[in-house]
Amino acid sequence: MDTDLANFAVYYLQKKGATYAEARMESREEQGFILKNSNPEIAGFDETTGLGIRFILNHTMGFATTNELAKDKIRDVIDRSLILANKAVPLSETISFSDAKAVNDTLKVKQKINLLNLDPSEKLKILQDLDKHVKSADTRYFSISDTLLKKYYINSDGIKLYSEIPRVKLFYFLSLTQGTNSIQRWLQKGAVSGYECLKTWNLEEELPQELKALEKNMNEGISAPKGITDVICSSEVTGIAVHESAGHPYEADRIAGREAAQAGESFIKPSMIGERIGSDVVTVVDDPTLEGSYGFYLYDDEGIKARRKTMIEKGMIKEFMHDRSTSSQMKTESNGAARACIYDVEPLVRMSNTFMLPGEHHEEELIRGVKKGIYLKSFMEWNIDDKRYNQKYVGCEAYLIENGEITRPVKAPALEITTPALYSSIDAVSNKIELFAGNCGKGEPMQGIPVLMGGPTIRLRKVSIS
Amino acid sequence: MIEKVQRLLLEQGADDVIVSHVESSMNHLKFVNNKIVKTASETLSTIDIFVAKDKRLAFTTIKDPSEDKIKKIVDNVMGFIQKLEQNEGYNGIAKGPFTYPTIEEGYDKKIEDLDIVDMVQKGIMAAQEEGALRCSGVIDTSMEEMALTNSNGVDVMDKKSEAYYSIRALVNDDASGHMTASSCMATKLDVKGASQKAGKIASMAANPIDGKEGVYDIVFDPMAFGCLLTHIGDAASIFSVESGMSFLQGKLGNSLGNFSLLDNGIYPNGLASGKFDDEGRPTQTTKIIEKGILNTYLHNTSTALRYKVTPTSNAGIIAPKPNTLVLEGKKGKVFDIERGLYVTNVWYTRFQNYAKGDFSTIPRDGIFLIENGEITRPVKNIRISDNMLDIMKNISLFGKKPVQIKSWEVDIPCVLPEVLVKNVKVTKPHA
Repeated sequence: MDTDLANFAVYYLQKKGATYAEARMESREEQGFILKNSNPEIAGFDETTGLGIRFILNHTMGFATTNELAKDKIRDVIDRSLILANKAVPLSETISFSDAKAVNDTLKVKQKINLLNLDPSEKLKILQDLDKHVKSADTRYFSISDTLLKKYYINSDGIKLYSEIPRVKLFYFLSLTQGTNSIQRWLQKGAVSGYECLKTWNLEEELPQELKALEKNMNEGISAPKGITDVICSSEVTGIAVHESAGHPYEADRIAGREAAQAGESFIKPSMIGERIGSDVVTVVDDPTLEGSYGFYLYDDEGIKARRKTMIEKGMIKEFMHDRSTSSQMKTESNGAARACIYDVEPLVRMSNTFMLPGEHHEEELIRGVKKGIYLKSFMEWNIDDKRYNQKYVGCEAYLIENGEITRPVKAPALEITTPALYSSIDAVSNKIELFAGNCGKGEPMQGIPVLMGGPTIRLRKVSIS
Repeated sequence: MIEKVQRLLLEQGADDVIVSHVESSMNHLKFVNNKIVKTASETLSTIDIFVAKDKRLAFTTIKDPSEDKIKKIVDNVMGFIQKLEQNEGYNGIAKGPFTYPTIEEGYDKKIEDLDIVDMVQKGIMAAQEEGALRCSGVIDTSMEEMALTNSNGVDVMDKKSEAYYSIRALVNDDASGHMTASSCMATKLDVKGASQKAGKIASMAANPIDGKEGVYDIVFDPMAFGCLLTHIGDAASIFSVESGMSFLQGKLGNSLGNFSLLDNGIYPNGLASGKFDDEGRPTQTTKIIEKGILNTYLHNTSTALRYKVTPTSNAGIIAPKPNTLVLEGKKGKVFDIERGLYVTNVWYTRFQNYAKGDFSTIPRDGIFLIENGEITRPVKNIRISDNMLDIMKNISLFGKKPVQIKSWEVDIPCVLPEVLVKNVKVTKPHA
């Protein structure tokens, strides 16, 4: 990686009058494999390098990107971008950044089973071995991919960073059919790690159990009893809920309206900090610093040191996720939430690893406390409106709870609820948490970013199931 | 350059090779609350390579194609492919040479000279004149030159231009309207029309009441039904069918409703129109659903040979994909219903079961009650929770003027007018 080209971009922009300049050079080595119904469909690899450049000129934000890595090409695309930015000045918002500490740091994540050392045939075999466990499913789709991302970042505020981050992702989709009955399930696993992460995923054991549960739900499941009832959500369902309705609405760029034309705004307003949004057992955080986590980073894509953010503390709205622009606008400091999914797009305010903190109860205690209710162990369909207020989670593996015990499988029970109602209805949370991988979409052009989401098992009192 | 890559690969023993090179440049503006918050310029050069050897398939991309890089990649791809196993379902690539269609209004050099700052300013003003107080969105212009060669005698080039404008107009937090405009031709980018529509919807949407659950006849704006249509298009890909991700599985020859759905690779001024697909086969128009009957899935050469059908020019090498989806049927007065809803946009469409088609989606921006043929008042906080096959079966009437839609949620361009669907299930959240 020729980091001098990134240094040149910053130098050139300063010479051209930019009051702020940054350059992010990324080099990626990726491999990916697809196995469909036991057939090795295709495999691929990429080795790509490119440069993303951002600047402030006359209070206007500009961005330029190219993968043609020569000084004249970089100069050309910057010049084009400067012309456009200059033209936009009269209609432009005045962009300012909160302060940032100068830093020079290097981060290299260690791997036990190096991505580049594992033979492609071994990677394909990972999928083939998993496929053997679920042969009775009618259709089976598996993919696995790995990326070694080398990133060099420099800005005109004295920040210079270099990192090497390995990342592994596995996805599966299963479809079971029996006559007119059918059930489907997908799940993603992900980690910042070498291939040693496979052991912790334990899919050889989990997949056959899951298949058995899906078969039972398909063949023996009853229709969901409709009406007001208690609901137990497993870590997986807690995870998607906190991501959607306790993560996204706390992104400061949404709150400021900057995603209005794309992923939407937020029902949360700056004036709501300190207000109650849930019961006092609800604390939700976003923490990029968890070692090995899929959403891991120690500096964000503006060079700000990452830290845990607490969006909800004991039911009260506490903090938003910020980049340097939104924090300046809201007169606070950046808490290091700026992320770009690849060099050719700008950093946006993003989540990393978002989860509810655990409580003191065993999961069994939560279930024992339900006379009649529903246990949502996993989900398929979900969605939420663009203000993050009206959401729906539909169970995939789900059960009836009767007199404190899980009794029969239930087909597709739907929890459709507003955000305040959801977090206010939680009366107890379990003492163990689990995190699940996802790719979160935002921005235009769309950016998919690796995240984790999760939390404890939670108990919701008197909510509506349909 | 691509010929050289192909030659090197064939010299090293590859059976089938497809190499394509795309050079693109783009300008982009993002505006928020009536102000530009970002300008961007981009220059990219990308070479995609597909190789088959002994039914082992590999794909790679070079995004900084220097001479040294190309030699290294060719060596790497041939080493990599040896480590793979055979794809028993693979049957080869398109065999040329072909005669290619001319794309009407597919390229206009004036696109790169558009004054996008001025267009944004005028767009915001047009929305404000309709009552919008704040507007957010993007405008992009892009130029693209592509060349493709394959080892079966295909050697072809194409050029594309595109302008895309998206505006969400807001009157307050509960009242918004969204519309996009897109065109390959500079003079046909209707920024003013899109802005006026977004502003008008936002103004009409002020002071909504909570919607009620039930069964409604719904008039979907093209923007809203376009979101659903992309899922129908995806479901038509044979790859989705084989993967269990299609509600069209097992439905060939069946009647699905009272409408026709075409995949048009040569649609005039079509954002996805081009001379050839990803393996170099000439693009065409394919009747996926004709007068309600599902005629075909979308195929590339290899999948078509597998099922002994004619290729539909929809490569995707592995996953065939739609070009432009054109939905049409009986035209009439779609708003002429006793009681129903007018849904101007939806988002976050997710499936409980792709094979069955069980899904839900959330109406976004203006949603309106229709009573006795008139739009009476705006509503909010509802969800469409239904089944895609039922939605298709219940399509009953089309508006008169089809428009091309591309948006944040409609990544496959769709051409359609308003669509009236009877008996749609609407749910709402527990508060």
